[in-house]
Formats: sequence, structure tokens, C-alpha cells
Amino acid sequence: MNVEPQEHKSGDADPIRIELTDNIQHVHRLFCDTTDFIIRTFTIKQTGEAAALIYIDGLTDRPAINNDILYPLQIQSDAGKPGDELVMTVGHVDKQSDFHHIETAVLHGSSVLFIHGRTYAYVLGTGGWPQRAIEDPQMEASLKGAHQGFVETSGLNIAMIRRYIPNRELKMKRLVVGERGQTNVTILYLADVMNNELLLDMEKRIQQVDVDVILNTGELSELIEDNPFSLFPQFVLTERPDSAASQLLQGRCVVVVDRSPSVLVAPVSFFSYFQSIDDYSTRWSIATFLRLLRMFAFITAAFLPAFYIAVVSYHFEIIPMKLLLTLGESRGQVPFPPFVEAIIMEITLEMLREAGVRLPAPVGQTVGIVGGIVLGQAVVQAGLISNVMVIVVAFTAISSFILPNYDMVAAVRLIRFMLMILATLFGFVGIIVGLMTMIAHLLTLKSLGMPYGIPLAPVKFADWRDTIVRVPLWLMDKRPRSTSPKQETRQNTSMPKEEQP
Amino acid sequence: MINTDKNSITYTQFVLIITGIQISVAVLSLPRKLAEAAGSDGWLALPLGFILNLVCSYIIVAVMRSCSGRTLIDTVSAMMGKWIGKAFALALAFYFLNLMYDGLVRAILIVKIWLMPNTQAYVLMLLLLFPAYKIALGGPRIIGRYAELVTVISCWLPFVYLFTLKYAHWLNLLPFFKEGFLPVLYAVKSTIYPTLGLAAVFILYPYLKNKEKAAPALFISNMITTTVYLFITIICFIYYSPHESKFYNDPIISILKTIEFRFIERIEIPFISFYLFVFSLVWIPSMYIVSYCMSLVFELDSHRTPLRVLCIVLIVGTFFYMPTFNQSDKIQHFLTWFGFSMEYVLPSILLIAITIYNRYRPRNAL
Repeated sequence: MNVEPQEHKSGDADPIRIELTDNIQHVHRLFCDTTDFIIRTFTIKQTGEAAALIYIDGLTDRPAINNDILYPLQIQSDAGKPGDELVMTVGHVDKQSDFHHIETAVLHGSSVLFIHGRTYAYVLGTGGWPQRAIEDPQMEASLKGAHQGFVETSGLNIAMIRRYIPNRELKMKRLVVGERGQTNVTILYLADVMNNELLLDMEKRIQQVDVDVILNTGELSELIEDNPFSLFPQFVLTERPDSAASQLLQGRCVVVVDRSPSVLVAPVSFFSYFQSIDDYSTRWSIATFLRLLRMFAFITAAFLPAFYIAVVSYHFEIIPMKLLLTLGESRGQVPFPPFVEAIIMEITLEMLREAGVRLPAPVGQTVGIVGGIVLGQAVVQAGLISNVMVIVVAFTAISSFILPNYDMVAAVRLIRFMLMILATLFGFVGIIVGLMTMIAHLLTLKSLGMPYGIPLAPVKFADWRDTIVRVPLWLMDKRPRSTSPKQETRQNTSMPKEEQP
Repeated sequence: MINTDKNSITYTQFVLIITGIQISVAVLSLPRKLAEAAGSDGWLALPLGFILNLVCSYIIVAVMRSCSGRTLIDTVSAMMGKWIGKAFALALAFYFLNLMYDGLVRAILIVKIWLMPNTQAYVLMLLLLFPAYKIALGGPRIIGRYAELVTVISCWLPFVYLFTLKYAHWLNLLPFFKEGFLPVLYAVKSTIYPTLGLAAVFILYPYLKNKEKAAPALFISNMITTTVYLFITIICFIYYSPHESKFYNDPIISILKTIEFRFIERIEIPFISFYLFVFSLVWIPSMYIVSYCMSLVFELDSHRTPLRVLCIVLIVGTFFYMPTFNQSDKIQHFLTWFGFSMEYVLPSILLIAITIYNRYRPRNAL
């Protein structure tokens, strides 16, 4: 093989030559063994120069190349001399004279036009890679919100956000991450709202990432988060343009990663994971109820099995007599200690859930039937697991489905197991110590340098309006303090007047 | 000098830390001690204790104000020399070590009696110290947030005690001063131990954001403490007969036995577990203060090492020796006198000393 070792360092320039044949040879060397790479040589009718168009088939838009580049260059014949401006009907045209840039551009879907006798090439924006249609977001379905979800192209994603905030203060910073992948990462923010220090911090953290490639936003989030050992997610990942826009308006920044259908929101707090975009379009009383329900669900999802274990193995005296008899009857023939019983059921539940995620939808239903009916009923009838345990596990599962954010649910699962172990060893004291440790952790945890427990620790009553409860929209006149925004006032709507009869 | 910018605490946090140190485990036995001293007139001693504490708070604030931003230990060092400053830090550390140990021992004893009779004390110590270490390591700001959070999540506790009012006999309180004024005065002594903790101001004052507000903050924190104590004591006195309340070690817990719902009996069991949050408000700040003072004595950069040593010593120590209830009572008795001298006598002496010092050496005044 006569391939030159590829130099990735942008430092040493590799300028293009005057001779077209030299350039073609060089390009051939760069892209040898690349069957989808195409070189088209022709003569420009307008100027009579020899030219070559190179592009990667599949990454480019074929009609654009045929109709907007090749057609005008070869057919139209306004007489001209070599060196003239060319007639092309392409929007984005860039002159480049360095092979590194040209290589990157070709690999990202542009086509490049070399012309004999010119020391620069035209990089033409003809990108058109395979791309799916905009669909309803899968992970965050909503009833009343928009039905557009992010796709895998950052340009489109940014456009979707911009549709919600057509304002020139919506600024962005583009960074390239990854040696090999050259992933475009864009930080979006509202320049007159977002706190500068936080923005700089975010930029610095992304710049420090040095990896091969970033395939997904989740990878980026793991590389830049504050405490990588924490169980809790420290950034919200969302697939919804409307929630991203809402977060921007609250003074947060949104990081769009090319080729990934979710965007990253920072800084967030623990309570951000209990908000859903639907909260703002339903009536405030209902939304408040739902928020409180989610908190309750979080508590039960994390603590209920542990509580059950603690009560059954240590503190059965708190159960009233009648209930105790029923419980004893159901537990009497179970051969396992409560912890083993609980672990068996919890693991089964986790398995069912994972199975349901990976399987195609028609088979997924079968898993539900097998899990629900066969395991739930048969296991009790066989006397392996008590009735009450099945109820506890089912209740726990339902509670964890209520939480709107997948990452937080994943955290709750692990916390549940830890608390179960603590409850088995030390009863209520274990649970309380577990809770205390969790609180200690939440108190010290940060998201982009802002306290994670805000507005409960430190207490900021003003922020409770849109975290723990959801007050009427006309009362949310300030942006949340948890982002320490530059511009605090969000709106000046007053309470709608009730008409007197 | 210390860097207080990154660790400053707000007014509310300051109030709640102090209140937390005061209430914590002391609330458990207070009604009994008051009843022992003055029968059903015992609660009348609480307002007197409040006034006493208020005076003491103002003295402490006056001392701190004359330190102008520096820690008290720096000031004392500058005034009377390095070694006296260190001795002072050591005394403060020893005092808070007592307070912390007393809190921990009480909590463990109560947990052992009511919840986990078969668990070894050192295991419980390990369990309690694990989260405490993490919070104390964070310094005043994290401790302040913790105090705030605990207040928020435990503000429902007093309401449960209202259920006992069903069986209340308000006549138990009458007549006032049934044995004259002297027993009430004598009972004021019993209010000293439950209100210990004001000395934490010596350490926390430099971290407070608005230092002018320190005096009102202490007023409010004493107010909260006294209100809670009054509430609890009166609830106990009107529920138990005047003679009965002496027989229960921890009337606050025993009284819960009367509350019964259809779905839960023995409500005191989950209650004691939850009380651990309230109890922890004494040992977490004290752990910080002890390790901070020790770091000053040994001139260390941070309080991390002393804190670790403290935790290990506590756990290993409990493995070999765990006080009984009676010994714990002795610790409390000792703390009454030690606390009195640390919080009431010492600040007064310091105030006088600093005033004299400032008067006679006006050039390098503090």
C-alpha cells in the first residue's frame, strides 16, 4: 500500500496544487479503498477549465449535485475566461485551499470542486445524508405538548428550538468534540438571561473532553458531569424541542449534539426530574397534584420494599392485630426470609422491564402476560411468595413508571436495592440512615456548579412555585433563582380579572 | 484567618443550626427534669430560662462583634498569646466533644431500647456517623442546608402531639406556683442543659452573611427553642398527672403510645426513627466544630483529618465502652455545669477582657 500516513494535526498545512492531476492523485491517495467516494472530471463550459468534483455518495444530495452544480457548469455557456466566478446554484459555497479542511468537509457530506489552475477549491454545501422524519418523541410522550421530537441532525434540532424562540438573543457556541468523530456540539443559550459564569464553565468542560467520538448525548453528559460517582443524573436529557425551549427561557443552557436525538440541559436540580412539559398546559391545580403525586411516587418507589422488609422482619408490632393476622396467613407458608422474597420479586420485575424494552412491540405484550399473570398468580399459589409482597412490588413498579424521566427512574432502582439491604440489616434505623446519607449526598451534589437540592436545600421558597407545586402561570413572574439568571423578570401578567355579575 | 466567602450561611440557616443544637436530644428528658424540680410548675421555668439565654446570647454577640470579622480564637491569640488561644480552642473542642458524645450516646441508647435491642452499639455508631461525616465535611454551608432541610421535613412532628390533647387535663397545670416561687427558680437549672449550644456562635459567627443580624437571629432561635419546649412540656404535663411525669424516662416518646390509628399501632417506633434527623442536628455541627477547633490547635489546612480521626476514635471507642443510661445522665449533669461555665461565665469574662484590652491598647485595637 502506498498510503501516506494520515496527519490529523491541523498545524501543518497541506495546500492544494495548481495542476488538477496532482490534486486528483492526492485525493485518490487520501481516499483509497473507499468505494463510496466519487470523482467526476469534466470541463467547465463557461471558462473552458478542466475541473473535478469529489463527493461521497450517500452523504450528499444527488439532485443538488446533478441540477445545481453539474448542469449549470456544463450546459450554460456565457463566454468567460479562466479564473472567472462560476455559475452555480448552490447556497453555501466556501473557498478552501487546505487538504485537511477539504477532507473533513467531504467526510461531513459536502462536495468539493477542484479547478485546474486555481489554488483553492470550492466546498459546496450539498449535504444530504440519510435521516428519519420528525416523529413524536418516544421517551417523553405528552398529551398536550407538541408532537415533534428531536432527530439526529443538529441543524434541524436547533431550527426546531429556534421556532419556539425567534429572538436574536438566542445565541449559540459551536464546538467540535472528538478526534475521529469530529462531532459538532452546540451550546444554545439566551444571551440576556443565562448566567455567564455557568456558560463559560460549560464551554470549558466540553472543550476538555478528548475522546475518539461522541456517539450520543449520554456519553457527553457522563464526561462533563460534576460527580461521576453519583447515582443521580446531573443533567436532564430531553427529546422535546418545547421542553428545551422552556428550559432556555428559565435561564439554562441546552447542548445539542449532532447525530443524537436528545439534547442536554444544564444546570438542573433534583426537582427538574419531576417536571413535565404537560404541567404547563394542564390546569395548575391538576399540575400541582401531579407534581406532588410524582414526589410521592419517588418516595414509594425508593422506600416501599425497604419499609415492608423492615416492618415484617423487625417492627411487626406497629401493625394492628387484624392486619397482622392477614399478613401472617399470607406469609406463613413462604419459605424465604422477607429480604430474599423481596429480592426475587424485584429482580423479576427488573428483568421483565428490560425484556419489554428490547423486544419488538408484539412480543413485548407477551412478556407482560407472562410476567403479570403467570408469575404474579402462580408464584403466590405455589406458596413461594406472599400476596402482600406481590402487591408491594407491583405498587413500586407503578410508582416508578409515573416519574417522567428515565434517568431518575434508573437511579431510584438502585437506591431501592441499597435501602432494602439496609432495612434487612437494621430495620427502620437502616432506612433512616440510608435517607440521611442520600440527603447528605444531595446536599453536596452540584449540577454545573449549582446546588442540586435547590429549592429545598438551600431553601428558596420563591422557586417552590415551579418545582414542588405549579402555581398559576401569572404568578410565575420570576425566572428560577436556581440558575441565577441575569434577567430575573419573566413576565408581567396580572391575575385575570373575574367579571362581576 | 478563614475564607468565609464560599462557606457563608444565611440568616435562616444560622438560626436553625443554633436551634438544632439546642433542641436535639435534650427535648426528650426535659419534661421529666422540670417535673422533678418543680412539679407541674416546671414549665414556668422555661420563660425564665429564655431570658437567661437571651442575655447570654447578647453577651456572645457582643464578644463576636468586637472581634470584627475574625474568629474568636484568632482574637484570643492576638490578645493573650498563641498558647492561650490554642488552649481556648481546645476547651471549645472539648466542650463540643461532650455535647456531641452526649447526643450520640443518647440517640443510640434510645434506639437500642425502643428499636434495635440486639444490635451492638458500635454498629449503630458507625451507621449514624456515616452520613454525619459527609455533612460535617462540607462545612457550615452544607450543615446550614441540612438544618434547613431537616426543619422542613420534620415540621409536621408537633402536629402529631396534638392528637394526645384528647386525653388532656388542663387542670393539671393549676394552680400556678403551688409550692411558691423557689422550686420554679430551682427548675431554671434544668433548662440550662437543653439550651446549650449557643457557644457554636463563636465558630459560626464569621460565616454569617449579615453580621448585624446576629442578635435578632439568636433572639429568634431562642424563641423557637423555648416555644418548642413550652409546647412539649405543657403537652406532657396536661397528659400525665403531676406525679406521673417523673416516672417516665423520656415522656416525649412514651406519650406517643396513646396515639393509635386503625392502620398503625405503636406509632412511637417510626417516630423514634424519624427523630434521628432531629437528634442529628446536635452531633453534626458539633463534629464540625470539634474538628475545626482541632485543626486550629494543630495548625492544619482543613478539618478533614481531625474529622476522620474523630469518627474512627468514636467507633473504636464505642466498641470497647458504651455508657449506660445512668452514665449518660451523669454526662448530662456534668454538661450542665460545664456548659454553664462555657456559655454563660466564659463569654462574660471574655467580654470584659476584650473591652479592657481595647481600651488600654487603642492603637492596635481589635
